[in-house]
Amino acid sequence: MTEHAATVAAALHVPAHTVREGCPGELLLEVEARDFPVLADHVSHDLQGRLLSLFASDDRAHTGQFRLHQVWSLPQLHTFLLLTAPVDPAAPAVPSIAATHPAANWFEREVMDLYGVIPEGHPNPTRVALHDDWPDNAWALRKDFPGEQPVPRATGDHHPFRPVTGEGVFQVPVGPVHAGIIEPGHFRFGVAGEPILYLQLRLFYVHKGIEKRFERLPWRHGVYLAESISGDTAVGHALAYAHAIERLGHIEVPPRAQAIRVVLLELERIYNHTSDIGAIATDVAFTVAASRAQALRERLVRTHDLVFGTRLLRGTISVGGVRRDLLPSGRELLQTRLRAFETEFEDLFGLLVDAGTFTDRVDGPGTLTRQAAQDLGIVGIAARASGIDADLRRDHPHDAFAGLQFTVPVEDGGDVRARLMIRAREIEQSLAILNQVLRVLPDTPWAATLPDALPARASALGWVEAWRGPCTHWVATDDHGALTRVKVTDPSSLNWPALVHVMPGNIIPDFPVINKSFNLSYSGNDR
Amino acid sequence: MLGILTKSLRTGTLTEAGPFGGQASFGFPVMDFTRCVACDACTRACPTGAIRAEAVTPVLAHVLTHVSLSYAACIQCRACVTACPEQAISVSPDIEVAAYSRDQLARTASFDVNPVTGRGTYRQVELAPGLSLADAAAQLKARILGRLGRSLHVRQVDAGSCNGCELEIAATANPYYDLERFGIHFVASPRHADALLVTGPVTRNMEVALRKTYEATPEPRVVVAVGACGCSGGLFGEGTYAAIGGVDRVLPVDVYIPGCPPRPQAILNGLLVAMGVREARVNR
Ligand code: SF4
Repeated sequence: MTEHAATVAAALHVPAHTVREGCPGELLLEVEARDFPVLADHVSHDLQGRLLSLFASDDRAHTGQFRLHQVWSLPQLHTFLLLTAPVDPAAPAVPSIAATHPAANWFEREVMDLYGVIPEGHPNPTRVALHDDWPDNAWALRKDFPGEQPVPRATGDHHPFRPVTGEGVFQVPVGPVHAGIIEPGHFRFGVAGEPILYLQLRLFYVHKGIEKRFERLPWRHGVYLAESISGDTAVGHALAYAHAIERLGHIEVPPRAQAIRVVLLELERIYNHTSDIGAIATDVAFTVAASRAQALRERLVRTHDLVFGTRLLRGTISVGGVRRDLLPSGRELLQTRLRAFETEFEDLFGLLVDAGTFTDRVDGPGTLTRQAAQDLGIVGIAARASGIDADLRRDHPHDAFAGLQFTVPVEDGGDVRARLMIRAREIEQSLAILNQVLRVLPDTPWAATLPDALPARASALGWVEAWRGPCTHWVATDDHGALTRVKVTDPSSLNWPALVHVMPGNIIPDFPVINKSFNLSYSGNDR
Repeated sequence: MLGILTKSLRTGTLTEAGPFGGQASFGFPVMDFTRCVACDACTRACPTGAIRAEAVTPVLAHVLTHVSLSYAACIQCRACVTACPEQAISVSPDIEVAAYSRDQLARTASFDVNPVTGRGTYRQVELAPGLSLADAAAQLKARILGRLGRSLHVRQVDAGSCNGCELEIAATANPYYDLERFGIHFVASPRHADALLVTGPVTRNMEVALRKTYEATPEPRVVVAVGACGCSGGLFGEGTYAAIGGVDRVLPVDVYIPGCPPRPQAILNGLLVAMGVREARVNR
């Protein structure tokens, strides 16, 4: 029994032997669902835990029960804590923790929509994942739900928008089809003239049934599906999936592969951050800077293409390592191109922050205070821009990050400017990381030999600090070692509430730039 | 201000005179059916069912089997190339692939498979059903004659994509590709659009919005399906509880641009096909 397990047991007031060691860096605790609220309070107050995911699984074939799972990051102990409890299918309900831990809000409602497990005492127990035309009592992620056939449309009104009354007060509906080349979602603004009174969201327009789809895939194919959870996070999600499978199957990833994975993940961060900085410039009509950023980003993806044969870094990760080696010629090319990028990026960034017309638009709008970010359980760049010092690469090191030197930039402003600054400073850190890794790659194979089958009835968590924030995949196998549940959590699922929270008091014309400064994934959220 | 000017002058023009003809290290797989023995190595390796083998009828002691490879569902993952024990699948660097129908994106060959050894003997390449590329091109041109051709206003609709396709569509507007010089503009409303550029496996939750967008687009509205998902449902399949599948399951599609995601040149090429300026081709 490790020291960490003992610390956790003491903080939660549970017998020491009940906190079990899972895969490395993962503690497991089997609890009763009725204890969730008390335990969640202890985890967050006494262990500074942060909720990263909450989901259900259907274990009726074995134990006759559903299960509810919570994934907490315990940054100070450098370990994850997974709380799980059985749920009786005859009365499928669990006490909600959403009132005190708002990060659980959408997760619990999703469990209700897809498993029919009711979060009792939830402050707003309405549908989140299901649209109005979804029939009642059809729970898509239950094992007895026929996922391979269309579901008839029903009628219903499960998403009443908040009414607005008063003179000059009205609603502005936007979407799901937006004006630009972006993903679909519906925004409903309540406004009094220009100032926004509130914003309500309706998402899940691009729900593709990814989690159900995983359950039908051979585990070796899962990595392709993971790449398509959110196209801009192909490496992040593929890697989180690969980590989960590797941990579950006791597959050792050779050091060279771990190093190349760091290269890929940081390249993904750099190209996305660059493109977001350009998009923020676009949304305040600073076209010179915007098109320069676009050109810079195009040069980056072309470099990926030259070195890895793929522009958006798809098809680079495999379970057990990487799909292709990084040859010395590719390494040198990367080093040269990144040096050129660094100078040009500094140039571009200088242009932005020196322009009063630009800074006037980004200073202040969309402020997310530290307290709000903490209370809402915001993660990733959005959290770090609001003074929260959390990064899985440092707190729960994966791949080769434990042996690398880098700092985690944190900004206090919480506004558009702070989210812009975080991106620029992270690019700096990524370049420093790449510098270290590219100097010399470990002289080992770049992929592990894979077993024929995964262990039966096993589970593991995979995680990655991707460019937007933490991506987690929880994977479980059945009696034959086939995938029986894959829970995917994109950081966007945790961060959409931040956008809702910051909008009141801002004006509609600032919405695009505020939205862009978060740049959340619809597909990653909707899956 | 001066700094911006000098930088712009120093940068010069980034736009590439001819964005076409570029080659990728991996465009699409090409099957040499004469080397194929109709085993199931590639069909098992393919994550999307882009390669299929179907027993058609038993012929005497042999089973007549169709092996087909469709770019509509190909996500360009290269798994089939490494899986094939006969080295029958090679790599084409060509990326400017487009077609007027799903069938045109597929090639099928028939084999006599010995049920004991499982090995097949190549017979012939089967004729694709439906119109030929040339006939389909003529048909599209006749439909848009006099109305489109010099300029195309495009409304992009994400009907369920992973956003990968959107990234490459957006890239067509960057200084390197600059699609506006071809007269192509992205517009904010379907009412201003000549064409819809649709991505994603159409999801159950986007079907209604997609139909409404189509109805709001004036004739002769051209529909272009983008990506493995838009062409066939891709990784997400067709007819599941959440994904309806390829765009043609919901709307009549005029042009298909396969790839996962298709590169900016491929998208540009496909848009020019939709304008009738270029003709679609599948293999060079
Ligand atoms: S074709 Fe590929 S890139 Fe495009 S939406 Fe589908 S999975 Fe994403």
